[in-house]
Amino acid sequence: MTEITENEDAHEFRSEAVSLWRITFAPLIWAVHFAACYGATALVCAKDGAVDGLRLGIGIGTGVALVAIVWLGWQAWQQWDLVRDRDWENDQGTGEDRHQFLGHAAFLLAVISFIGVSYVALPALLIGTCR
Amino acid sequence: MLRTLVALAGVLLLPACGEGRQSVLNPSGRDALLLYDLALVMFVGALVLWLLVGGLFVYVTRINPREMSRGLAEGLIVGGGVLFPVVLLGGLLVYSLPLMQAPREAGEGMRVHITAEQWWWRVEYELPDGSRVTSANELRLPVGQRTGLVLNAHRVIHAFWVPALGGKADMIPGRETYLSFLPESAGTYRGQCAEFCGASHALMAFETVVMEPEDFEAWLAAEARDATPPQTQEATRGAQVFAREGCGSCHTVRGTQAVGQVGPDLTHMGSRVSLGAGILGVTPPDFANWIAHTETLKPEVAMPSYDHLSPDDLTALAAYLGGLQ
Ligand code: HEC
Ligand SMILES: [Cu+2]
Repeated sequence: MTEITENEDAHEFRSEAVSLWRITFAPLIWAVHFAACYGATALVCAKDGAVDGLRLGIGIGTGVALVAIVWLGWQAWQQWDLVRDRDWENDQGTGEDRHQFLGHAAFLLAVISFIGVSYVALPALLIGTCR
Repeated sequence: MLRTLVALAGVLLLPACGEGRQSVLNPSGRDALLLYDLALVMFVGALVLWLLVGGLFVYVTRINPREMSRGLAEGLIVGGGVLFPVVLLGGLLVYSLPLMQAPREAGEGMRVHITAEQWWWRVEYELPDGSRVTSANELRLPVGQRTGLVLNAHRVIHAFWVPALGGKADMIPGRETYLSFLPESAGTYRGQCAEFCGASHALMAFETVVMEPEDFEAWLAAEARDATPPQTQEATRGAQVFAREGCGSCHTVRGTQAVGQVGPDLTHMGSRVSLGAGILGVTPPDFANWIAHTETLKPEVAMPSYDHLSPDDLTALAAYLGGLQ
């Protein structure tokens, strides 16, 4: 009896390990975008202050980051599966609930990452000077 | 209407600030006006939000304390808790960020280099040919032109702030920061160091005199000239005391033997509107008081008190300095 449960747990854990990783992707993109924006700005402003190229680069990078985050968010949304079962909490200790809960968490993290990336980019796009 | 109300409230709250010479509620330059409007929008926005949230709270706890439907509750959380603030904050960012550009641009007008010392201001006007006219503890600006201010500091951090004319900027040793002002009405506005910089930080102020462009040109031409030689017997004696006491080892009076760089340039001290970085007037008693009691007037100042000088010597010095027009 116990042996079977352990096996099931192990199997379940393996299949969930992927979505456990997945929930970190959106915040990871946010972190990389943040560091890249600040680093590039500091470098360009310390060197020659050629902000036009910098702003273009930040604009493109932000576009790519946002598309990636939207895609991750969409995946997570489907994993959460809210529309079909209307289950917000997924609070039963079942494999399905665990799976959907990770989707829920990943979705919320994608939303906050989307906001974070947008707000980080705004100053670079709206202020055309290093000063 | 709103502006008048807020200004009125400000006047009632700050009666000590005299005619708003050092007040953000008396915006007299393009940049100060911009900040004023920005503050107004933010303040009214915050008020509306506060009333909205407070009102909602009263509504659901007192007026209509029933259980909400699932849909309404979810809608409130997602709509009021996520969408609304994201859109509102995003809107405020998009509105305010571009406004921050103009006050940092170099401007088409003159450039002035200002270096913060403990506890006074070194002020250098850059002429079109690149040479500089040195002054101190006073900033003169032509009305209607955007003048660029290149800020720096010696030894410790200070901050440059003339509330009636524009924003505030840190002054950092070894690093240039920038600000620019576009004054819109002639007048005298007080500035103040706005970052704690040591014992006499609170006594580190200055006057900004905004002048009509032709008056400014005339003033700058006069400021660029060497000091006028003493005109009276008293002043001549003052010049002798100045030389005898070694004042020139710290102060420059252009056209004389005095070429010190430790303290403010005194070449046209007599034509300034304040003394000791905005803490005294420029009458003969003010000069005598400053020279005899420097360390009492300004704790830890680098200039020694010349309290051993006789009243006659002090009067003579005052006549000399006041005559440096
Ligand atoms: C050791 C250097 C030193 C000597 C010597 C010195 N001063 Fe000063 N003096 C300063 C410094 C520094 C300041 C600025 C003080 C401050 O406001 O923080 C100053 C300020 C002043 C000011 C006010 C300047 C302004 O812009 O408002 C006057 C006037 C003045 N000194 C006159 C004299 C006279 C007269 C003597 C000689 C009797 C003298 N000083 C000797 C360092 C010196
Ligand atoms: Cu200070």
